Amino acid sequence: MRIVISSQPKLLNILRCVVRYRAQEVGFPETDVDWLTMAIDEAATNVMRHAYQNRRDGKVKLEIQAFPDRMEFILEDSAPKVSPEKVRPRSLDDVRPGGLGTFFIHSFMDSCHFDECFAGGNRLIMVKNLPRKVSGKDESTNQKS
Amino acid sequence: MKVQIRKVDQISILDCSGDVDLYSSPELREALLKEMRSGAASVLINMADVPYIDSSGIATLVEGLQLSRETKAHFGLFGLRNNARSVLELARLHKVFALFDDEKEALEKIPTIQPFGGL
Repeated sequence: MRIVISSQPKLLNILRCVVRYRAQEVGFPETDVDWLTMAIDEAATNVMRHAYQNRRDGKVKLEIQAFPDRMEFILEDSAPKVSPEKVRPRSLDDVRPGGLGTFFIHSFMDSCHFDECFAGGNRLIMVKNLPRKVSGKDESTNQKS
Repeated sequence: MKVQIRKVDQISILDCSGDVDLYSSPELREALLKEMRSGAASVLINMADVPYIDSSGIATLVEGLQLSRETKAHFGLFGLRNNARSVLELARLHKVFALFDDEKEALEKIPTIQPFGGL
């Protein structure tokens, strides 16, 4: 499944609906669906704010792939390269506005990394393993500690 | 998202409804900071009709908390849904904000909390 939206914050709601629908369809528990939806929303928010720097005419492409044991979310933009150093999760000890989006993504996703070989923008690859009950095994997983 | 402001016994209540995300959080921010700067002694945010809040919404709440320290106002949230509460817990902010189950509890306890949020 692939969805392309322009970099307008009012369209994030559509992205969330698509992710929620697909995660439910694959069989994630409802709590995981909420976190997954938030993680992808935060990643797209980062694209709009930091990669496009609030420009509204960029493209944000999300590709969702479901496998027997996991879901992969590939988020692409055509903005200038963002340094991964600039989007590292921050310490929670410092109570201040901002900087939590990347923390939420890393908290829930099992894997999250930029494809450094991607030319012409940024490509963020996020992976969430299915709880083992859903993927045919016998344990469940949830949010990372 | 919509934000409506009402007064109950000198306490300002911001009733929010709808998702709070990158698109809508500026509206909440504007209403919250305006109310704080108007000299309100106590400000509560009603989150009962907020099904989703993202990091930009959380940032707005933290900004409100910080401003409440400057203005010596009481500041709290009530009616949070489970997912919004979970987000605050994950960010370790649930002990930073004054959180109340419902409006009744919030109105009873908000005058007793320390200004700037701590219980």
